[in-house]
Amino acid sequence: MKNKNTLTLILFVSLILFLLAAFGSGLYAQPKTKSGVDKSKTVEAKAGDCAACHKDTKKLPDSHVATKDMPYDGCVVCHIPGEGNAGTLRGKLPGSHIHALKDVKCAQCHGKVKKPEPVQMSQCVTCHAPDNVAKKTANVKPNNPHDSPHYGKSADCNLCHHQHAKSEDYCAQCHSYKFIVP
Amino acid sequence: MKKDDQTDKRLSRRNFLKTAGSAAAVAGLAAGGIGISSTNAQAVGDALPKKWDETYDVVIVGSGFAGLAAAIEAKNAGAKDVVVLDKMPVHGGNSIINGGDFCAPGTKLQKENGVEDSPELMLKDMLKAGSYLNHPELARMVAYHAKEAIEWTESYLGARYTKLNYQGGHSVKRANGTINSSGSEVVNKQLAKARELGVVIQLRTKLVKFLSNNNGRIVGIEVRKNYKFPDESTGKTAFIKAKRAVVLSSGGFSRDLKLRQIEDPRLDERFESTNHPGATGEALLAACTANAMDVQMDWIQLGPWTSPDEKGFGDVPLFCEPLVGYGLMVNPQTGKRFFKETGNRKERADAIILVGHPVIIMGDSYAVNKQVVPGRLKGAMDNGAIKKFDTLEDIAGNYNIPLDVFLKEVSRWNSFVEKKQDDDFGCMIFKDARPTVVPPFYVARLWPKVHHTMGGLVIDKNAQVMGFDLKPVKGLFAAGEITGGVHGAVRLGGVAMADCIVFGRIAGTNAAKEKPWG
Ligand SMILES: Cc1cc2nc3c(=O)[nH]c(=O)nc-3n(C[C@H](O)[C@H](O)[C@H](O)COP(=O)(O)OP(=O)(O)OC[C@H]3O[C@@H](n4cnc5c(N)ncnc54)[C@H](O)[C@@H]3O)c2cc1C
Repeated sequence: MKNKNTLTLILFVSLILFLLAAFGSGLYAQPKTKSGVDKSKTVEAKAGDCAACHKDTKKLPDSHVATKDMPYDGCVVCHIPGEGNAGTLRGKLPGSHIHALKDVKCAQCHGKVKKPEPVQMSQCVTCHAPDNVAKKTANVKPNNPHDSPHYGKSADCNLCHHQHAKSEDYCAQCHSYKFIVP
Repeated sequence: MKKDDQTDKRLSRRNFLKTAGSAAAVAGLAAGGIGISSTNAQAVGDALPKKWDETYDVVIVGSGFAGLAAAIEAKNAGAKDVVVLDKMPVHGGNSIINGGDFCAPGTKLQKENGVEDSPELMLKDMLKAGSYLNHPELARMVAYHAKEAIEWTESYLGARYTKLNYQGGHSVKRANGTINSSGSEVVNKQLAKARELGVVIQLRTKLVKFLSNNNGRIVGIEVRKNYKFPDESTGKTAFIKAKRAVVLSSGGFSRDLKLRQIEDPRLDERFESTNHPGATGEALLAACTANAMDVQMDWIQLGPWTSPDEKGFGDVPLFCEPLVGYGLMVNPQTGKRFFKETGNRKERADAIILVGHPVIIMGDSYAVNKQVVPGRLKGAMDNGAIKKFDTLEDIAGNYNIPLDVFLKEVSRWNSFVEKKQDDDFGCMIFKDARPTVVPPFYVARLWPKVHHTMGGLVIDKNAQVMGFDLKPVKGLFAAGEITGGVHGAVRLGGVAMADCIVFGRIAGTNAAKEKPWG
């Protein structure tokens, strides 16, 4: 009987300690996103300077050349669009990074506001006119992703092209087109 | 003694209910003014929000054929503010991925093709296929108003139909095919018209709950805005007031694994679905919670023309369906035909499930070139779901079919085609069908997928939803695949479009005419 009480006490104390450890540390941790990004830094950071936001989290393979001061033109010297080996950046970097590498600043889409809101498609089309986009991908096999029998040229960009998360192939719900989505 | 005991128990049970009810009400108030539905909530009504976030005359849930038809007609009937909500990031639900076949009797295309037809004959076909479980009044509305409905999409919306197709189970060719073989031709024109009329469209907005007043009248809904399907943790709660009525047109539940297995336990994950991913049943269940009655929920249709070699609906159905009556279906294990190719969906799907493994459908170059849209053929050939063979021997080799039996079976079929009569299964053989002899031959494998839910909410011919008290649920109309009764046991191909447009228009008109409650 006595033994049992002691056991319960020990269990109880360890539970409290565990809870403290689990949640206590959380209270004092830096506000970070899933990818370990320190959000307060992202606005000023240079696009190629991974560590500015990602800190110690390694994002590129060790063998990768230094990217700190590299603009987009530098990336495509190796990542030649449409060519094998070095491949392409498409589908690898979140859209926001490509934008940043091309010197498109956060405020250009989100506006100069304290609390940025999600961007509507009407904003995307100010640069990426649907007709032009559709023309550009007219020869993509097996079908033009930007001119579908369902939505024509008006499908919302954000169905596939996420800027702050991994992009997705929305068509893949029903089709096996295997589009690589930048 | 015993008697007293029972009285006691009854009393205490009643007391308990009372307490439970008021506890729920208190909890509801604390949680921001909305009551948690309890056993007796229906009689009491829901605690309504202190402030509605948005107010419209007519609130429509679902942006497919039915919902958009309702929106347009609500506007035309004088409703001032009309909103269409959809939980998905795109409009159109199943309607925008549909095959574009609209069945209606006596259309222009039928006349051009010399096909004699009548509403009476269409009704007869619907009832026969539906095993006479159709609510006759509803089926009649569809058959008799289908022509007017398709003409409305043509002359008022500008939709174009260019090909007359045959759908299994109909006694004549009456499927008017849209110019792009897709429902998008209609649904996108509906959307454009709705926008032109000032209808507000809100995507990523999910209906969570109906709100009713003390009389059980539906007065508004609770939604989650900015909802990211299928993540239930997303979205922000908002309350939308429906001054006149709500039209529920949220489609079927073919993709709702849980609900469909409750209704038909066979339909587990072995069966894929042709539907869009949002074809789930929560809106229907929310309506039932608000006293709407359901009917024939376990009549769930499998498409017998889908391929296990591609995703979703795919291209094969638009290869298979135009080919029936021209080509033959064979069980590869036996090398023989096993069922009437032009049978209705249920008969054919059941027959394939009984075979127990995928079967094949085949056609020669004459039939395929004549019947199949080139784009479809190419699509399915590119993804490997349709294969091309130079000889019948090659087909047998590829699908492991016993060659001798197969060759005999093909020539037997060919003899039926010559005399336009199938002695084995009574397949309908079309006038212009020819023996399957011209290479190359095209073949696809078939295995059923869950396609349509015939059951759903009980409505009357005014699209008014009926309650479990067998009285109208005031302020609630429904149309389209979410309703039950129109099709009975089997929905015939091409009749869903007729159903959705006919009843969608009625629902919208009547919703606009409902007297405002406040
Ligand atoms: C691949 C395919 C091909 C077909 N081909 C044909 C054909 O050729 N001819 C024919 O007659 N029929 C065909 N059908 C059937 C027909 O297309 C459907 O029955 C019809 O489109 C249903 O229309 P609806 O307006 O009732 O629902 P839908 O078009 O499915 O629209 C319902 C909408 O409600 C939304 N919704 C669901 N739940 C909620 C919620 N809780 N909150 C907010 N929104 C919600 C959904 O996201 C969806 O967009 C086909 C079906 C499929 C799947």
